[in-house]
Amino acid sequence: MIRLNDIAVKFGDFTALHDINVHVKEGEFFTFLGPSGCGKTTTLRTITGFIEPVSGSVVVKDKDITHVPIEERNIGIVFQSYALFPTMTVYDNIAFGLKLKKLKKAEVARKVNDIAKKVDLSEEQLKKAVSQLSGGQQQRVAIARALVTEPAIICMDEPLSNLDAKLRVQLRNELKQMQKDFGITTIYVTHDQEEALTLSDHIAVFNKGVIEQIGTPNEVYNHSATEFVCNFIGDINLLQAEAVSALNRAGGRVDPAAHNYIRLERIHVNVDPKPGSVALEGVVDSREYYGLYIKYYIRAAGQIIKVIEKNDGVNIYEVGQAVQVVMDPRDVMAYPAE
Amino acid sequence: MTKNRSVQMGPALLVKLFGIAFFAYLFLGFMLLPCLNTLASIFTTQNASGETDPLAVIRFFFAGNMGSFVWNSLKLAVCLVITVNVVGVSIVLLTEYFDIKGAKILRLGYMTTLIYSGVALVTGYLFLYDSNGIITTLLVNAFPGMNPNWFSGFNAVLFTMTFACTSNHALFLRNAIRGIDYNTVEAARNMGARPFKVLWKVVFPTLVPTMFSLTVMTFITGLCAMSAPTLLGYDSINPEIVRLAGSSTADEAFPQARAALLSIILAMFTIVLLTVLSSYERKGHYLSVSKTKAKLQKQRIDNPVWNILAHLYAYILFIIYMIPVVMIIIFSFQTYGAIRMKKLDLTNWTLINFFGTQDYQYLTNRGTYKTRKGSISGLFANEATLGGIKLSFILSAIAAALACVIVVVACNYIFKNRKKKSGTVLEYCLLFPWLLPTILICYSYRVYFNSEDVWYVGGTNLYYAGHVRLLIILAYTVVKLPFSLRMIKAAFYAIDEELEDAARNLGSSSLATFLKVKLPIILPSVLAVFALNFNALFTEYDMSATFASSYGTTYAMVIQSMCREEGLYGYNVNASGRRCASTVFIMIVSGIILYLVYGVGARDLGERLEIRDRRRKRLEKLKSFGKKSKEVNV
Repeated sequence: MIRLNDIAVKFGDFTALHDINVHVKEGEFFTFLGPSGCGKTTTLRTITGFIEPVSGSVVVKDKDITHVPIEERNIGIVFQSYALFPTMTVYDNIAFGLKLKKLKKAEVARKVNDIAKKVDLSEEQLKKAVSQLSGGQQQRVAIARALVTEPAIICMDEPLSNLDAKLRVQLRNELKQMQKDFGITTIYVTHDQEEALTLSDHIAVFNKGVIEQIGTPNEVYNHSATEFVCNFIGDINLLQAEAVSALNRAGGRVDPAAHNYIRLERIHVNVDPKPGSVALEGVVDSREYYGLYIKYYIRAAGQIIKVIEKNDGVNIYEVGQAVQVVMDPRDVMAYPAE
Repeated sequence: MTKNRSVQMGPALLVKLFGIAFFAYLFLGFMLLPCLNTLASIFTTQNASGETDPLAVIRFFFAGNMGSFVWNSLKLAVCLVITVNVVGVSIVLLTEYFDIKGAKILRLGYMTTLIYSGVALVTGYLFLYDSNGIITTLLVNAFPGMNPNWFSGFNAVLFTMTFACTSNHALFLRNAIRGIDYNTVEAARNMGARPFKVLWKVVFPTLVPTMFSLTVMTFITGLCAMSAPTLLGYDSINPEIVRLAGSSTADEAFPQARAALLSIILAMFTIVLLTVLSSYERKGHYLSVSKTKAKLQKQRIDNPVWNILAHLYAYILFIIYMIPVVMIIIFSFQTYGAIRMKKLDLTNWTLINFFGTQDYQYLTNRGTYKTRKGSISGLFANEATLGGIKLSFILSAIAAALACVIVVVACNYIFKNRKKKSGTVLEYCLLFPWLLPTILICYSYRVYFNSEDVWYVGGTNLYYAGHVRLLIILAYTVVKLPFSLRMIKAAFYAIDEELEDAARNLGSSSLATFLKVKLPIILPSVLAVFALNFNALFTEYDMSATFASSYGTTYAMVIQSMCREEGLYGYNVNASGRRCASTVFIMIVSGIILYLVYGVGARDLGERLEIRDRRRKRLEKLKSFGKKSKEVNV
């Protein structure tokens, strides 16, 4: 569906992107994830045509669109700020693209009303100015506006970042549902790893203008290709020499020369170690209360090891309490030290 | 693909080349060359024997009394900075910061200078405070020791301009004070600061940048004062330049070169001041860091004595602002006799000054009335007065619109090429007239285009006959460019860049994006600038006076001539009535324009829709009420 081949983008002397190769399949939800300034939005803007790459090509449905003008690409976009036209009503905002295509008035009205129904905007709301709508409603308008011209692809640039936490989760689910219903190929930009993990079919993790890994949420999370990816996604423990040698004593094959990581949820407290696992003696140093779970900072094997435990009222440990930390060497992700 | 693009570049390139040519023509032809010509003329003075003597004028300057005009202007400017700032800050604090009863009414009074300014205001003040004016007579009766001639020369100019030049304070300082985050005031109070301490330590520092700009602008206004010194008799630079420009070598030594020298001196002062201002602005200063600003709440003055004094002060200022306006309105409905005697006749009201079509009567020395044939008394029937208003209306409207169009096009380019040199160059070109006093531009135009040798205007003498109107439009437009640019550029900053991307993404061309997305957003600001330009030009005096010509008799010149008629000859009493009436007419026109722009035009789409909604509901309610009552009747 979409192929980015060896894309490089420069701003003056600064190389913003290089060696970008992505393949997005038809109907897929594909996420660009990374910290701010990593090049994910630049890549998105290269696809929509706001930025022209110095080399490489953008191919959509086997057609090279690298130099096709923005307005002829038929790729919808939902902006971070929504970029709704403040001088137009909701209806006029959605109809803008259709009118430019010189569609008949009745046709425009039909399409606008159809899409409005699908994104759950009432007829009353269509008559309003965008400033009269709430953040969540404005976001629906932005999505409706991007979808109404029936683009082949829709791009979303951090569309949830302007909303409060609760609405963000609610709309995230709606977004996924809408994408499924419309079946439209979606490229989604975010710096929020939770969003990326819950929404995506595939994730491309960006760092400093290059892609570190492309994979399914599970691949990216549990089999992070690089040290950057494993650090960026989720919380993780970097194991020090003492812990590594303990693991190896228990029969693990952990390379002491490498950087070895283990996820928090892969470590357990006060359970009987399975064969091959190792139990370390430790003391609870501090804890953070999250409601759903509790994060413990446990001093063991000469370092602090972070662990999360479900807040089920059973496994509650006090600060200063002696505990056993149990981990399996097969859960360790190792990266060569540079 | 490349071929395709080069074809697309065709018309775009043409537009670009045309744009460059246009702005180069505008800048070189109507800003740089005329003024350089003026500068050069100083050094090409010929002495009595016909030899060129480059330093003759400069020697004359140091030997003669020319220096006194510069000194007088400086004195006026320095004094005005003090008085205007005191009054300007007072009116803003009294209406926006302190809890003064009737603040809304007070604000309207203080803002009257927005619709009542220039020659109209000066003649109004003259009418009240002259030695036989209403107020002076009242005051002399109350305080017999008072000098009835107090309103003349420097005192009169300073008094008039102090109250006439606070419009900028009323607009910009008001905005600055309303932009204060009230939480900072509360924080200071919470930490134990007394109200006046808060005012001094928290509020004032945030106003300093605005105050600094206003001070520089006031200083320049004082230096370049024109209508007040001319009408009230004070020898400052501008009236002297106008006098010299109309003089000839037969009467005095090289008047043209002297006028040129004075206008260049004025320009140097302006350039120095504006350089100081812009380097100050560039340094960057206080910026509000708060993300959630709390609205300023009015401060009650707890001490009862101070509270009463503040109220007293507020209402005295209000009276000073309102008296000329009220009197002009009242007297515009009075008869010739009442106006002539400057005595209200409450038993005798008339519309003759507005709609009178009969020849006017005048009072003879013997105290009897005589009719003067062929002269018409009513504003809307008198050809000369109406002609002046019409001319000013048309010239100002064209120039105000031209300035806006040029600046909008330029801003669109400047914002697209923000990081390129061409954008910056264009911006500085349009700001250039800001460095030049209006009088220098007009004087330069008058001299430079008063010849058939200027090839780029087709070898036409633009100062000749009806062409002078074109020259006035040009001057009006050029003079209004810097202000328009500053204001409209600010509006462009408010356009979210993503809006443009969004429109392009939805298939909109560059032109369509500008017309359908960007223009509607900046339109309220553009209209506001148009209105402010129009209002300023409509009653403008400096430029018309410099171009003084029977083909360019604008509204301000008509007022001046009416004033002269009644003053010098004493018999054309009717001119006073018409003057009052035409001033009232102008106030109404300016007031309506300001209301439309700030009251109606400033509403965003949401507010407009809400108002429409409310109106519809009210209508429905009325209808249903009608139905019900009918039903009841049945």
